[in-house]
Amino acid sequence: MSETLTAVVTGSVLLGGLAGLVAYVTLLERKFAARMQSRIGPYRVGPHGLLQPIADGVKLLLKEDIVPAAADRPVFNLAPVIFVIPCLLIFATIPFAPGLGVADLNIGILFFLAVSSMEIVGLFMAGWGSNNKYALLSAMRAVNQIISYDLPFILAALVPVMLAGSLKLSAIAEAQSGLWFVFYPVIGQLAFLAYLVSSVAAENRVPFDILEAESELVAGFRVEYSGMKFAIIQLGEYAHILGTSFLGALLFLGAWSGPGPAWLGPVWFLGKALGVFLVLTWVRWSFLRIRVDQILAISWKLLLPLTLLLVMITAVVVVWRSPGGF
Amino acid sequence: MASDGRRHGLVGESMDLASAVFRAMRMTFVNFFRTPVTVHYPDVERAYPDRYRGLLALAYDKDTGEEACIGCRLCEFVCPPAVIKVEMLKGEKRNYAKTFTLELYACEFCELCVQVCPTDAIIMMKSFDLATADRRDMLLDKDRLHAIGLAHEASWATGNLLRDMQAPPRKAPGPGPGAAAGGGA
Amino acid sequence: MTADEARARARAVVDYTGAERLTMNMGPQHPSAHGVFRAILTLEGEEVVAVDAVIGYLHRCHEKLAETLTYAQYPSIASKTDYVAAMTSELAYVMAAERLGAVEVPKRAQYLRVLVAELQRVASHCLWLGTWCMDMGGALGGGATIFLYCIRERELVLDLFESLVGARLLYGFHQVGGTRYDIPAGWTAQCRTTIDLIETRLLEYEQMLEGNAFFHMRTRGVGVISRELAESVGVCGPLLRGSGVAYDIRRAEPYSSYEDFQFAVPVESAGDCFARYCVRMVEFRESIRIVRQVLDGLPEGPISSKPGLKSVAQVRIPKGETYARVEGARGEVGCYLVADGSAKPYRMKWRGASFSNLAVLPHILPGHKVADVVAIMGSVDPVFGEVDR
Repeated sequence: MSETLTAVVTGSVLLGGLAGLVAYVTLLERKFAARMQSRIGPYRVGPHGLLQPIADGVKLLLKEDIVPAAADRPVFNLAPVIFVIPCLLIFATIPFAPGLGVADLNIGILFFLAVSSMEIVGLFMAGWGSNNKYALLSAMRAVNQIISYDLPFILAALVPVMLAGSLKLSAIAEAQSGLWFVFYPVIGQLAFLAYLVSSVAAENRVPFDILEAESELVAGFRVEYSGMKFAIIQLGEYAHILGTSFLGALLFLGAWSGPGPAWLGPVWFLGKALGVFLVLTWVRWSFLRIRVDQILAISWKLLLPLTLLLVMITAVVVVWRSPGGF
Repeated sequence: MASDGRRHGLVGESMDLASAVFRAMRMTFVNFFRTPVTVHYPDVERAYPDRYRGLLALAYDKDTGEEACIGCRLCEFVCPPAVIKVEMLKGEKRNYAKTFTLELYACEFCELCVQVCPTDAIIMMKSFDLATADRRDMLLDKDRLHAIGLAHEASWATGNLLRDMQAPPRKAPGPGPGAAAGGGA
Repeated sequence: MTADEARARARAVVDYTGAERLTMNMGPQHPSAHGVFRAILTLEGEEVVAVDAVIGYLHRCHEKLAETLTYAQYPSIASKTDYVAAMTSELAYVMAAERLGAVEVPKRAQYLRVLVAELQRVASHCLWLGTWCMDMGGALGGGATIFLYCIRERELVLDLFESLVGARLLYGFHQVGGTRYDIPAGWTAQCRTTIDLIETRLLEYEQMLEGNAFFHMRTRGVGVISRELAESVGVCGPLLRGSGVAYDIRRAEPYSSYEDFQFAVPVESAGDCFARYCVRMVEFRESIRIVRQVLDGLPEGPISSKPGLKSVAQVRIPKGETYARVEGARGEVGCYLVADGSAKPYRMKWRGASFSNLAVLPHILPGHKVADVVAIMGSVDPVFGEVDR
């Protein structure tokens, strides 16, 4: 009984905290990007723009909700919800400190990867239901891209799993109490790089943002969305990025390990996740977008073989290092 | 790098991508630590140069304190978008503008009216700040033009100064009177 | 073939032929339309098979307007044709009037004209680089970063113009017989600092782009204009030079004392987006070089051979007709003027560089992906004020 209660309570706390975190992560990104571009970013709402996310939220809530006349109404209305659910669900398996999490499944990472690629369903529904050519093209691109990049993403995430010898996220985190996997000679750095690249692609961010591609497809699959539905899609997108950042911090940067008392663990974890997020943001604001065929070529001809090779090397290393190996 | 700037093969392409990532991210990183160029406009105003072509205004004669405009309508004729309308009032010693209207919403700030003014009556201000929600507020009459002239700092140009700068052609060669002086306050 | 027939033929190509085709409207309101350009694209999947280009959304009767305004008034309106490089469009008009009236222009004025024209080229190319990268990189990505860097540098040049003329976009700097403004005190030093700064910043843009494999992927072999196509369609400026034709009006038919200055005319033979990029990047540096030479050798003297403007009909041009052209930032800007002896031209015909450059799009777009359409359009660098006039 108490286990169920814990799950429910942590679940609701997590959802609330997540919404706030997402809101402020957008502010962080805007400020960060602005400084890179010689600007100052949001500044007017509250001191240094600190209330900007709240103002944005209120604005989006009050906006008129427009459904295009020619849209497929049920699909159009359902799409944001279907999109946001997997994006929030991925947080269910992440342990924020030893024992602190909604559900520490023993196949945690498998669940994370499986659910996170479910976002494509909502995305495609949004593109299809809008009955808009830009949105349709964008949805087609999305399917292409996300399928291509989920494979290297999974393979890169497999490396820490093999090093730790467990699919359980807390076990992977515990395995790094001595040495963070990112510092594991050669393999760790390469895997982390591959993880970053494929997560940029899986999150549809520049240089792989062909499905949003506002200079070609205006706003891609969400071109017809406004008001709260737009906000939900935005929430889902940023939640997904954050989820990936948390997973990256957990798989490679030792999750909650860090100096200081144990209760600082979650803070360390959050800090590391935001660090990963900032790197992703930094990449985003530094590159030009590449074309759809080139994106697929990079994935299938470059990233997939390399990560596959990496997984094989890791396997050899793990067997070699294990007590009974070779 | 190869002659076409790209290397080939798995390793070559990955190396290319890696160097691309490094160079571009280094540049954004460098710019991260530069001072932002943003000016907090309503709180802080940037300095406008002396020749700034801003709001139009009517000036008073510096010596007599009378309004300088003599209603000669030269500005009305020269205005390319035809936003100025003047009516002349004949006086004993001199003439006046009976009415002077300027449709600022259609003005393109070309400074031709200032250039032709024989009495330096119409001038430009170092300000553009007349934002309004009502177009009728931009229809300036003589009183408002005089008020604007008192409310803001005038920019350098007046009709006589501009014509002096465009040195008269039949003079002996040499620096024109306005050649170096122009606006260098 | 009348215009209607031509259009009907163009439409016939894009008609539904049984393949899985999609007609997509790009513009007139589109984030990368560079103004109000409407391209009706016929797509097969992501690939463009036909383009129907529609222009005219920004038509403002410029040529008719020129007939109603005097030679004294029109220069400050001429800047509205190509509002990104206003200085050169004014120059084309006043040069036509001066040629007709056999008006001599003092040496100092000629040098000042070269000075502002080259600064304007730097400013215009800054905007081109920024918007082009934004087309390729998106407003929510690295493209916007380069765009803002370029705008930051462009603003510095506009600051120069502001202290010279008083305005940032539409100047009215030229007048028949010379220029309206002389440089103010301290301006030369400001100008030198600015161009030095821009020269160092150019290296930074190249760091972000030229060594960048992503940039090469997007621009090499994309939108190839062959030399034959370039000559038959009549593209000009950086597009022509990117296709291997060494033609620059400043060199071929020097005006306004361009023969006094040392500068190179860059030529690339590939004809793709990257070649056009290379040409413009060299032009940046050559313009800066010319600006330095002008500042070093600026002669003293009057800035105008005509007395300062006192009334609207002061400038009268004898009867005749002529064509004057200048090398603008986008190519040949020309003005054909028919004068009837009064203070207003009888007829004016404007040749906009963007208009003839835009005509090449339907030839090169088919066969490319949608993403390349914006890259190619950006590399053509059209300004719609000049296309539609």
